[in-house]
Amino acid sequence: MRSTRSFLLAFLEQAWLPVLLVVIWWFASEGNTNPFFPPLSKIWDSFVTEMSSGQMELHLWASTRNILIGLAVGVVVGVVGGTVIGLSRRLRAVLNPYLQFFRTLPQVAIIPIIIGAFGITAVPKIWAIGFACIWPVLLNTVDGIRAIDPGVRDMVDAYRITTWRSIFRVVLPGALPQIMAGIRISLSVAVVLMVVSEIYAATEGVGYFIHITTGLFQTDKTWMGTLLVGLMGYLLSVIFLLIEKRALRWYHESAS
Amino acid sequence: MTTAAEGTAMDDPRQSTATLEVRGLAKTYGTGAEAHEIFAGIDLTVAPREIVCIVGPSGVGKTTLLRCIGGLLAPTAGEVLVEGQRLRGPVPQIGIVFQDYSRSLLPWMRTVDNVAFPLESKGMKKSERIPRAEAALEAVGLAGSGSRYPWQLSGGMQQRAAIARAIAYEAEILLMDEPFASVDAQTRADLEDLALDLRQRLGVTLVLVTHDIDEAVYLSDRVVVLSGRPASVVDVVDIHLGDDRDQLTTKSLPEFTEDRARVLRQIRRP
Repeated sequence: MRSTRSFLLAFLEQAWLPVLLVVIWWFASEGNTNPFFPPLSKIWDSFVTEMSSGQMELHLWASTRNILIGLAVGVVVGVVGGTVIGLSRRLRAVLNPYLQFFRTLPQVAIIPIIIGAFGITAVPKIWAIGFACIWPVLLNTVDGIRAIDPGVRDMVDAYRITTWRSIFRVVLPGALPQIMAGIRISLSVAVVLMVVSEIYAATEGVGYFIHITTGLFQTDKTWMGTLLVGLMGYLLSVIFLLIEKRALRWYHESAS
Repeated sequence: MTTAAEGTAMDDPRQSTATLEVRGLAKTYGTGAEAHEIFAGIDLTVAPREIVCIVGPSGVGKTTLLRCIGGLLAPTAGEVLVEGQRLRGPVPQIGIVFQDYSRSLLPWMRTVDNVAFPLESKGMKKSERIPRAEAALEAVGLAGSGSRYPWQLSGGMQQRAAIARAIAYEAEILLMDEPFASVDAQTRADLEDLALDLRQRLGVTLVLVTHDIDEAVYLSDRVVVLSGRPASVVDVVDIHLGDDRDQLTTKSLPEFTEDRARVLRQIRRP
């Protein structure tokens, strides 16, 4: 009972400002005739019509699917690659320049190449997102593994912990805080890649919706699509935070 | 006294039979002009159930020596024998208790899982591992704390858990590197008594590295004094304080003071 009440209070504490801003926006934009800044009420109307047409759901689904599959590919490749590289000093020395190159390369730059080569369907977009998501996860996995205390390594050696057991029960959990931070970066990278790849060339998705409505000069719909992308990114990061909080309970609690 | 030592998982007290022999052990870092000789020509034999403390000025290479004895570090020359077998890496007869307990216990595992963890690699089933870990925790006075995470325990309790891990592992020889250096004085005294008690009840052999001469004399059957550059054994002091020792009376015995003075003189010797 008490916890629901305190939860409600915390929610209100966080919610009052966005609610206030939306209300101000609603009234301030009412009757605005500048075509690039449509009234919020019009944006809302187009949201209601688009959602009821069923088209918008398909766009949202396509975009979410691309993000999630792409992110999953990136996380798997990043964690596996990062573990191999993190455990091998020699491999690190050889690969470091390439890793630094991919770290600094703006990932959206690869979209024209991938879509140009593989077409405008969903699969090349997923590849582009996946490829972009690899690097933050991979580099953070390498760093996380290297940051594991040498004392832990001594314990693993002294008690003759087998290799696979040490990877799954010691190395990966030890690097998990950093890996999670990498996934979080990859998630925002994935949202950017999703929008840009759909604006560049697509037949579905929220980015595609933004693109075509701009072309048709339906600015209220463009605004609505943009707001939806923001909302989507926000919801995904909230869900991710909940997962992270659960997976890293020991980490957060031992720190406090 | 009914303790876990006589309970299920540890029915027969360990009664170590493993002899530890160190022969002509030397360690040098680097080569040529850069070579830095840490210690050389170390000979030492530790009998089963014996408690031996290695003391010496700080920086003399005590920890390096212990790492070589434990098989964590390859010596440059000489050999370590456990039960007559030459050591090529860590062996199951030896359990190591590190100085920094907060790093050697894994924070994502509950204490009981930390204690049981090395047993997984021995191929032991969970139904065997957990009772054994619980029994080891009980033997070090941590009954009922197994479900807590290491970081929820005090420093002294964490070091007890680390000792429990070595005991559950069925190590006959426990190597301890400054094991009680980072706890307060009272906890330190309790842990010293725990070490004596474990030898008494389980018959384990203990080799400790410490910089605390009082601690060395109080715990040991023999104190090995390491000094010089490169370090070598400058003296081995036999301690005759009997098996029953306690913090108050033992430390005020004239023999204690004598032995303590002798060790101190050896360390300070130019």
